[in-house]
Amino acid sequence: MSDPIKSGILYGTALVGIAAGTLFGVTTLLGMNRPPIVSVQRGFRGTGMDQLYTPATLAALQVQARVPRSLPPASPAGVKAAVAYKNVQVLRNLSVGQFTRLMVSITTWVAPKQGCSYCHNVANMAWDGLYTKVVARRMIQMTQNINGNWQSHVQNVGVTCYTCHGGNPVPKNIWFNNPGPESATGIAETQTGMAHPTAVLNESSLPYDPFTPFLEHAVSIREQGTTALPSGNTASIKETEWTYALMIHFSQSLGVNCTYCHNTRAFGDWSQSSPARVNAWYGIRMVRDINNAYLDSLQGVFPVYRKGQLGDSPKVNCATCHQGIYKPLYGVSMLKTFPELAKPYVEEAKVEAPVPAVTPVPGVAPSPTEKPLPVVPDNTTPHDSTPH
Amino acid sequence: MAMLSFEGKYRVRGGTLVGGDLFDFWWGPFYVGFFGVTTVFFSLLGTLLILYGAVLSHTFNIWRINIAPPDIGYGLAFAPIKEGGLWQAITICAVGAFCSWALRQVEISRKLGMGYHVPFAFSVAIFAYVTLEVFRPLLMGAWGYGFPYGILSHLDWVSNTGYQYLHFHYNPAHMLAVTFFFTTTLALSLHGSLVLSAANPKPGESMKTAEHENTFFRDIIGYSIGTLGIHRLGLFLALSAGFWSAVCIIISGPFWTGGWPAWWGWWLNLPIWR
Amino acid sequence: MAQYQNIFTRVQVRGPIYAGTPMEARSAFSRTTTPGFSHLFGRLGDAQVGPIYLGMSGIASLICGFIAFEIIGLNMWASVNWDPVQFVRQLPWLALEPPAPAYGLHIPPLAQGGWWIMAGFFLTASILLWWTRVYLRARALGLGSHTAWAFAAAIWLYLVLGFIRPLLMGSWAEAVPFGIFPHLDWTAAFSLRYGNLFYNPFHMLSIVFLYGSTLLFAMHGATILATSRYGAERELEQIADRGTAFERGGLFWRWTMGFCATAESIHRWAWWFAVLCPLTGGIGILLSGTAVDNWFIWGQHHGLVPVYPPSWGKVLDPSTLPGAPR
Repeated sequence: MSDPIKSGILYGTALVGIAAGTLFGVTTLLGMNRPPIVSVQRGFRGTGMDQLYTPATLAALQVQARVPRSLPPASPAGVKAAVAYKNVQVLRNLSVGQFTRLMVSITTWVAPKQGCSYCHNVANMAWDGLYTKVVARRMIQMTQNINGNWQSHVQNVGVTCYTCHGGNPVPKNIWFNNPGPESATGIAETQTGMAHPTAVLNESSLPYDPFTPFLEHAVSIREQGTTALPSGNTASIKETEWTYALMIHFSQSLGVNCTYCHNTRAFGDWSQSSPARVNAWYGIRMVRDINNAYLDSLQGVFPVYRKGQLGDSPKVNCATCHQGIYKPLYGVSMLKTFPELAKPYVEEAKVEAPVPAVTPVPGVAPSPTEKPLPVVPDNTTPHDSTPH
Repeated sequence: MAMLSFEGKYRVRGGTLVGGDLFDFWWGPFYVGFFGVTTVFFSLLGTLLILYGAVLSHTFNIWRINIAPPDIGYGLAFAPIKEGGLWQAITICAVGAFCSWALRQVEISRKLGMGYHVPFAFSVAIFAYVTLEVFRPLLMGAWGYGFPYGILSHLDWVSNTGYQYLHFHYNPAHMLAVTFFFTTTLALSLHGSLVLSAANPKPGESMKTAEHENTFFRDIIGYSIGTLGIHRLGLFLALSAGFWSAVCIIISGPFWTGGWPAWWGWWLNLPIWR
Repeated sequence: MAQYQNIFTRVQVRGPIYAGTPMEARSAFSRTTTPGFSHLFGRLGDAQVGPIYLGMSGIASLICGFIAFEIIGLNMWASVNWDPVQFVRQLPWLALEPPAPAYGLHIPPLAQGGWWIMAGFFLTASILLWWTRVYLRARALGLGSHTAWAFAAAIWLYLVLGFIRPLLMGSWAEAVPFGIFPHLDWTAAFSLRYGNLFYNPFHMLSIVFLYGSTLLFAMHGATILATSRYGAERELEQIADRGTAFERGGLFWRWTMGFCATAESIHRWAWWFAVLCPLTGGIGILLSGTAVDNWFIWGQHHGLVPVYPPSWGKVLDPSTLPGAPR
């Protein structure tokens, strides 16, 4: 009989060694990450409300979020575009200098390879025959609407064409009404709207198109009961799965997890949620407005090859702007150098209004101590978020 | 306390790992030993610290008591006692008490001429605990990732930590662990009921034998693992449950920071059907 | 640790096949007659495989189970357009879903959940027939009916999930889908819908018994193996006439924690822990939606909820503010 302590240590060490080796092998094989990680604590200590990142992910997002240099501002003085050019319907009160600057900027934001001819007939710049020009006009109105009327979501950072397009004629993250993958017809149960791997939902088997009901139509998202005992909430488990799918899309689009907005012990409870949830609430309404008033209205304009399987317009969701970052472009405001996109064009508005000061977001009391998520990997200082 | 009728002949000296004969005695039904002393030390101190923590958190409601780890910002350093230091001290006490308990089980096993299966099994439970409170925080770089001490507060931690990965049920090791937990419970119910049904047969019949047990299971599912095998299987299932629980949490964070559903991308993208 | 720990069988002895205790006189079925030995099984437990008793309820149960399995599998296969490769690739994601909420407790067309009802019917029939088989075989062999009643506890949970609770809620849509990942989605959604199942006291109890069962089996299995050199695995003999194996095993726990079970009572502990796990779990599920709508708020009413210092300013539901967009 040998010494049990000695052999215990021996077997213990061997076990730990085997475990560590297996872990290393498996994680490498399956493309998993390895320590260190970067995190931001957002709730009281020990509640597990942390955002987790790898340094590599953050570095890649940093590259992705690089913002192009803005052209120097043009003088507002001089002839107005509406006078100088034909068929200017939206940017009428810009000076020719401002107008040209914006057109050149839009080209670099949206069609850097294709150039002016992506939207214009260069022989007749005023011609509306290209669908891209009609869409672009509507998109400029949309951008002004977002910046002017949806500060509850975009705050004073605002958006420009670049926020979504990022140098691509079609933004990378768009969606269509999704009839689901190809399935057999007949008596089999095949059209349940769920139970297939879905990339925009983190590859889960949750309902694969939560966008149509929640981000195009205004189906209620709230499923959780608000009273301890039953009081008329008839939401089903299935409906809850649709909401869950939408929320997973939110998380994935912003590169955050559920605890960014919620204390998950009480998802529905606003008093335990972070101010980001209020922002998201306005974001949902904003996206519905964008999809209904702007993109769906272009259904007749888009050529067939730009439309979905069911002939619908391309539409936006959270990922369209956010692209994996909790604040698009890490909160860098390109709008500041393009005030002409800050609010909808009104015929009478002759004065160059300054960018409106940010209106306080309703629903959030003053002095929130919310801390930003990391922009660079080393932005995790001690005592991140907890007031004592 | 009185001894059991047969107990006297087993209470012999020897078998200690540390301390020779010094602590080789019983206190009531309890064997003491060197590790009994350290167990009492750590568990008493830990309990007192928990009570102090309850005082600090202004509640003696057993469900609400919460002793939380430090903020993530403290990293792997010691925190002030009221800002997580208490949690750190209690964790040290807990690890000390658990290890003392396991080593005391080793001494008792030696005294009774038994194998070391029980302390080994308990070590797996300790391993799972240490994984949660020590190894994973170490790998992630801050004690703040440990779970807090509190009945409901630790469940809040489980909830939030699970939703850090969007849908924790998709964690493959969690799947394995849950499966092992369920299977262990199934096997325990089958074993317990089989023994009871043989020892307490149909009214009017005499007590049955292992042959009846074997016959019952072969009749039902075509295989009976046998009286020895069921205990090997049960131990294996139970320890696997604990082991895979530890794995499922150590990979969450240090080795995977996204949603667990997306982990299955490797399967969806295997070259055979890409 | 070179000494013998008895975690697998080193030397396998091959005796004659044991045909089992004598069959009852009036049985229409007999045991199959081709038992064999498996070396691999013999490493861990008994090497003998078979014979098996089929019987009327056993055959009926297998047929019903096969029908349920086929309904589920074929519907899943149809959902990937009968593509065999995609069937394998997407299998963990595929599902046979219960009907939509609009159908209530009506029977929908096959493609709208009718198949789910049919699969559920056959699976339930299969399980209940298997229960009958377990009960009848125990009786036929003169054993107590403990196994059947333990099985009944698991059937209780199954029926609550798929039948009793949907019945009380008035909708088949409340039931669990068939599918690997989809049933996990359902489980998560269930907790989300009813405000965090961790605050459901019966869920707490169920988990306690689940972990408790695992703890008990680890303790019991380890104790028996650690005293197997004294013949501890002969538990029935130890129940009838306690020997040194169980004296040592018992004293181990008495000396460790001041208390020990006996050869028989440890199996009563085991039975109750294992049985109470699905029993309490079923109660917890049954109460969700029928008696309690939000377990977290229920917990707030009953003083369960820990209070954390706020990390933000006051956050209000924007939909309650005047002039909020819809």
